[in-house]
Amino acid sequence: MSELELEAEAIKAEKIEEIKAEAEKIKAEMQAGRKGEEKEKIKTEQKKQPKEETLEKAKEKWGIAHIFSSYNNTIVHLTDLTGAETVALSSGGVHVNADRYESSPFAAMKASNAVVEIAKTKGFTGLHIRVRAVGGVGSRVPGPGAQAAIRALARGGFRIGRIDDVTPIPHDTTRKKGGKRGRRV
Amino acid sequence: MSFEKLIRIPEDRIGVLIGKSGQTKSKIEQTCYVKLEINSDTGEILISGLGKIADIQPFKAMEIVMAIGRGFSPETAMRLLKGENALHVIDLREFVGKSSAQVERIKGRIIGEGGKARTNMENLSGTKITVYGRTVAIIGSPTQLKLAVNAISSLSDGSMHGSVYNKLETARRKDKLEKLRLWENQDVF
Repeated sequence: MSELELEAEAIKAEKIEEIKAEAEKIKAEMQAGRKGEEKEKIKTEQKKQPKEETLEKAKEKWGIAHIFSSYNNTIVHLTDLTGAETVALSSGGVHVNADRYESSPFAAMKASNAVVEIAKTKGFTGLHIRVRAVGGVGSRVPGPGAQAAIRALARGGFRIGRIDDVTPIPHDTTRKKGGKRGRRV
Repeated sequence: MSFEKLIRIPEDRIGVLIGKSGQTKSKIEQTCYVKLEINSDTGEILISGLGKIADIQPFKAMEIVMAIGRGFSPETAMRLLKGENALHVIDLREFVGKSSAQVERIKGRIIGEGGKARTNMENLSGTKITVYGRTVAIIGSPTQLKLAVNAISSLSDGSMHGSVYNKLETARRKDKLEKLRLWENQDVF
C-alpha cells in the first residue's frame, strides 16, 4: 500500500511539474504576443488614425468631447468616435440659476463634471477634445468656459488625445444681423 | 496632448509680440505653457501646447497673440489672463463699407479729440479699447464687453457721443444696483 501511495505521489508531482511548465510556456507566449501588440500600437499611434487605434486597443474606449463655448453659455457634448452617437450632454445653464453666470468657468466646470461621471459609468478611458467658438459672423475665440471645461475633463482621469479648434470660419462672410442701420435699442 | 493652431498678425506687430530680446514671447510661453513659432516674414504664428493638459492655456495664448496683433500693448494683453476677461474684435467695414476714407472718419469718431472719446468709453465700461487698421479691439469681462461693443457700434452708426456716454452711465448704475441686490439675497448660484 505504502509503495503504491508513493508511486501515486510521484506521478502527481510529475503531472504538476508538467502543468507548471505548460503554464510558463503560455505565459511566455502571452508576453511575446503583448510585446507584438505594443509595437503595433506604437505604429498606429505614429500614423495618428484614431479609428484604427481603437480597434487595436480593445480595452481602451475613446470618445469625442465637443465643447461649444460662447459668451452666453458653454455646452459639453460627449459622443463616440463617429460623432453621431451622443453619450452625455450638459451645459452651463443647467447648473446655474442666473443668466449671466451661464458662461462662467464655474458653470463650465460643473457641466464637465456631470459629463465625466456619465462617461465613467459607460467605460470611457480617453477623450479627444473639439473646441468650438461661435464662429461665422460672431466671435472666433472660445469663451471663458472652454479652458475650465478642458481642465475638468483632464482632472476627471481621462487620457486626453488631440485638442482641436473647430470654429467655423467662413472664406467669405454672410452679412451680420442687424440690417444696414444697425441694432436699434 | 497635442494642440496646434496657426494665426496671422500684421508684420509691424511682430516686433511687439517678440519684445525686447524675446521677453514678451517667453512670458506668454511660460504663463500659458505653449510654444510660439514666429515666422517674421509672413507674420504667421504657430501655437503648440507643451506640458500637462491641466496646465496649458492654448486659447488664452491665442487670445493674447491676437490682442497684440490688434494693437494692444503686451501689458494690457496680459489682462486677458485675469478672471473672465475676453477679447472682441469689431471690423469697421461692417458699418461703412469698403471706402477707406469712411473707415478713417469712423476711427476718428471712436478715438475722439486727443483720445477723449476712447478714454471716456474705457472708464465708463471698465474695458480697454484700441483702434488699429480697420478694426477696433476690446478687452473686458463678458458683461462689460457687451456694453462697449454696443457703444462702439452705435457710435459708428452715427449716434452722438453724449447719448452713447449716457447709455454707458445708466448701464453702469444698473450694474451697481444689481450688485447691491446680490448682497441682500444670497442665492448667487
